[in-house]
Amino acid sequence: MIYVIDHKDSFTHNVVHQLSLFDEVRCTNYDEIDNRYLKRASTIVLSPGPGSPKDYPITSSIYKKFKGKKKIFGICLGFQQILFCEGANIVQQKQIYHGFQSKVKVVSKNSVFKNKNIYKVGRYHSLKLEEPFYSKNFDITMRCVISGSAMALENNFDKIYGFQFHPESFLTINGNLLIKKILSA
Amino acid sequence: MSTNKILNDINLSAKPYVIYKTSNGFDLFTDFSKKIILSNNNVTNFLETISSNKKKIKKTDLYIGFFGYELLNYLIGIKFPKQKTNFFPKGIFYKPETLISLSENLSFKAPPSEKKNKQFKINIDRKNYTRIFNKFKRKIKQGETYQIKICTKYKNKSKIDPLDFFCRLSKSNLAPEAFLIKDKNYSVISCSPETLIEKKGRSIITKPIAGTLKKNTSLNKSKALQYFRKNIKETKEHNMIVDMERSDLSRICIPGSVKIKKEKTIEEYKDLFHYVSLIKGKLNKKVKTIDIVKSMMPGGSVIGCPKVSTLNLLNNQEKENRNIYTGSFGYIKFNGDMKFNIIIRSILNFKNISEISVASGVVIDSNANNEFNENFIKAKALIDLFK
Repeated sequence: MIYVIDHKDSFTHNVVHQLSLFDEVRCTNYDEIDNRYLKRASTIVLSPGPGSPKDYPITSSIYKKFKGKKKIFGICLGFQQILFCEGANIVQQKQIYHGFQSKVKVVSKNSVFKNKNIYKVGRYHSLKLEEPFYSKNFDITMRCVISGSAMALENNFDKIYGFQFHPESFLTINGNLLIKKILSA
Repeated sequence: MSTNKILNDINLSAKPYVIYKTSNGFDLFTDFSKKIILSNNNVTNFLETISSNKKKIKKTDLYIGFFGYELLNYLIGIKFPKQKTNFFPKGIFYKPETLISLSENLSFKAPPSEKKNKQFKINIDRKNYTRIFNKFKRKIKQGETYQIKICTKYKNKSKIDPLDFFCRLSKSNLAPEAFLIKDKNYSVISCSPETLIEKKGRSIITKPIAGTLKKNTSLNKSKALQYFRKNIKETKEHNMIVDMERSDLSRICIPGSVKIKKEKTIEEYKDLFHYVSLIKGKLNKKVKTIDIVKSMMPGGSVIGCPKVSTLNLLNNQEKENRNIYTGSFGYIKFNGDMKFNIIIRSILNFKNISEISVASGVVIDSNANNEFNENFIKAKALIDLFK
């Protein structure tokens, strides 16, 4: 079972439907966490959402509690949430992407995705990862072709994954395939 | 009976009535056997008891009316700070006993009357608008919202003939979601273009509009499409609404059933082109009327995105109650089928005051002056009716 923690976003249920193609999915708001779902889930998904990771201490504590014990997958804010919990700074970017389709490239040989593959993806984010960023076992595995900003993270040791872009957006081509790779990683 | 005669009769009768656009004409609903004034206390009960699984129903087995903006916020648990209000009801629904189909060509000659209309006044001037605009732009940079619609309101003291206004408006702008409500103490005249929900059986569609272009002689449909395709700002705004509406539908639909049927197409009206998408889904078996209303309303395209955080930002900023504006008008049949629009491009007449609200979107690359002007253009089409 996959448990989606919703940060009251207007895209979360697209994520839920996408994940439902592969497994049973449960979803609640981040401030209405169901501990039975947390316990039962094999994968915890941190949804997109407004604001910045520091606004969601409940999500941070869930991440820290289950890191290494369950697969964790973050999208957009969820991606930033993981990085934030790993000590990264999440900062405003000069160019802001909301409803924007752009190309991202796989930049790591250790990725579950094929190195140098390019994907067309939908983006909705004001903030980004400040680099350089280093945390044990974490790799930035995709980058924006134009700006170079971090677009995917992988920690294949602890089974932690994240996309800065939105795999569920209609602007993402082959989003289902990207999700499938993460779920089977 | 001719449409003209029916309209004259209904106007003389002084009975409350509702007129709503259909695909090829208008429906007139009247002889109301029930009138339900909605509040926070009774809205849930109203929605939970309105429809059953009854298969065979009469044409008049429905409730027609509107949900105001504040009531829709209440339903999804969003609170309001204290606002200026004129105590207009938060929602009203009627049970009609008579339904008459009218032709598309509405004509009605209003009896001559003394004109008592004053100049319209705006509640937020350009300077204040710019201040709010810049504040919201900062919120976008901080990621608290991705798109937000600032509402401005034009008001005047007036005495009008609603049917005359509605007929004239339908001539100049035959909108697919146009409606008129005429009751004893208030009226609403609208040329809304936007269908928020059309539910038949377990099939549901929504048709968001994001992007409006005023017609001129050098523009045709394909040129309008090119304009929108090339305009990155309009495209991004529209994309965001499409993903948001997909998500709203996904709350209540079977996984995998939510599909974009028309992606970023142009619809042509008398004075404007609209950039429109159509999204369809198949409802989950367990979904009830109240779930549909809570998932889809208030309609995302007129609020911004993400819905909850954006509504909170708006409600904390706006000093005056939106009343009907960005609420929804439509009907719920006793078998659960329903159709609702988004209440925009509308005039509310209550206590001898006419109010017209308009909004336009702030995204990261919009400009305060342009948006303020766009608001005025939207309002002007309605203000001109008062001349």
